[in-house]
Amino acid sequence: MPRISPAVARAAIVLCILAVWEITTHLSSASRILIAPPSEIFWQVVNILATTSNVPKFYPNAWITIQEFIGAFVITAALGVALGFLFASSKLIGDAFEPILLVLYAIPKVILYPLFVLMLGIGMVPKIIFGITVGIFVVIFNTSAAVRQIDPDYVKLAYSLGYGRLMTFFKIILPAAAPTILAGLRLGFGYTVIGVMAAELLVVTDGLGSLIDWASFNYYTPQLYGLIFITLTIGVAGNSLFSVLERRWVR
Amino acid sequence: MGPMSAIAPRTHSWAVLAIQVAFVAAILAMWQFSVSLGWIDSLFLAAPLATARALIPTTILAEPHLAATFSAFAVALVTGVLAALVVGLLVNTSRYTYTVFMPLLVLGVIIPKVTLLPLFVLWFGIEKATIVVYGALSAFFPMVVNVSAAGQEVKPAQITLARVMGYSKIQTYRKVIIPAMLPVLTSGLFYACNAALMGVFIVELALARFGIGAFVRNLATTFRTPELYAAIILTSLITVIINMLLWSLARRLGRWRA
Repeated sequence: MPRISPAVARAAIVLCILAVWEITTHLSSASRILIAPPSEIFWQVVNILATTSNVPKFYPNAWITIQEFIGAFVITAALGVALGFLFASSKLIGDAFEPILLVLYAIPKVILYPLFVLMLGIGMVPKIIFGITVGIFVVIFNTSAAVRQIDPDYVKLAYSLGYGRLMTFFKIILPAAAPTILAGLRLGFGYTVIGVMAAELLVVTDGLGSLIDWASFNYYTPQLYGLIFITLTIGVAGNSLFSVLERRWVR
Repeated sequence: MGPMSAIAPRTHSWAVLAIQVAFVAAILAMWQFSVSLGWIDSLFLAAPLATARALIPTTILAEPHLAATFSAFAVALVTGVLAALVVGLLVNTSRYTYTVFMPLLVLGVIIPKVTLLPLFVLWFGIEKATIVVYGALSAFFPMVVNVSAAGQEVKPAQITLARVMGYSKIQTYRKVIIPAMLPVLTSGLFYACNAALMGVFIVELALARFGIGAFVRNLATTFRTPELYAAIILTSLITVIINMLLWSLARRLGRWRA
């Protein structure tokens, strides 16, 4: 039996699911409040993006959420990689802080969100800081693991070739650790997005979370599906960006 | 990689312990001073001593909520993990099914599922069903990806070797296939467990009327700050204990493999 290429098979599966979804929503008696057919969601997405739907202030709100994603991720990345290098650079500091980090990692951060709101109020700051809290651990762990797994002989070789500390860092340690760090950054981005979106939905102020809340509160079901689709797409797009970077770097 | 790689036995020295004690003491001191010196209003930040005093009364109040939350979590985790085992093994039946389905399952992991919460409310209401379904779904995706990946850990050469050595089918499973899969499976269980916890807490915080998330939300909105801190510390403690059990399980299974 000739095998179809996996990508084609995958596309066929997705199309089948969409077709079944479309047909069942038209045939079944399930309320249109509960479920919207894919075709309608597609038109909603187009309308929302063209600002011809009734979704209020789509672009300002989307921009707020994107700023939160970027802000939270940039700080997560910078701080996480720096801390990862710090913990890997000294065995003493690493051994001392790793158990503490593991315990902090084991706490589901979302239960802490009420404290963030109490101390930082509402608005972008608590959402960004919460996103960092959710995302930073995996970045720290991956960075310090990446640095530790470098063969010490490489570093010795660099020193014997007369490389200085800075040269060794940029020419040997960073390139050798880059793939694992990038993998950590990709995971960190995913967690940061989850943190920011959880924060937006738990305490509704502005951003895409507030639009989603608006749509669900008013039972604008197609708009709700459309907004959720747009938000998920932003998350997946960020992730794919990292996959591309990773593939390029590993090669 | 990730946190699972950090669980290696390590030598403990006095210096390490001293740094840890100093760090925790510094945090506690900073926490206490920021309240007692009036940097932060005690309406928003409870002092450690006030929190400690609230710990026991809050534990008594929180007990039925904790029971509800963690029973929902247990059901969600078991459902999600069992479903992931079945689906993962099906995906693993051939290299072809693996290449077709794996990207779809990975997509399930990387989409921020919390955004779907309003849909779950629409479909399942604001009762226990939403908590369990959302928790199970949160556990399912990280687990299924790991089950599928675990199957790829078994090298065909190992199975051939086992057959050549005269192992029966059951022996091959016990001695070759399962030990090869176990480390990836336990790391999957670790992620599934934490995702399910996070899922259950998100739903409860957002909308449940009962459970520790609802309890915490009520304490926060009524500014009962010491009780709020106590409840959060209590919940965190339980989740840390669950994680420690998983780490010791992972370490034991890791040793078995070696």
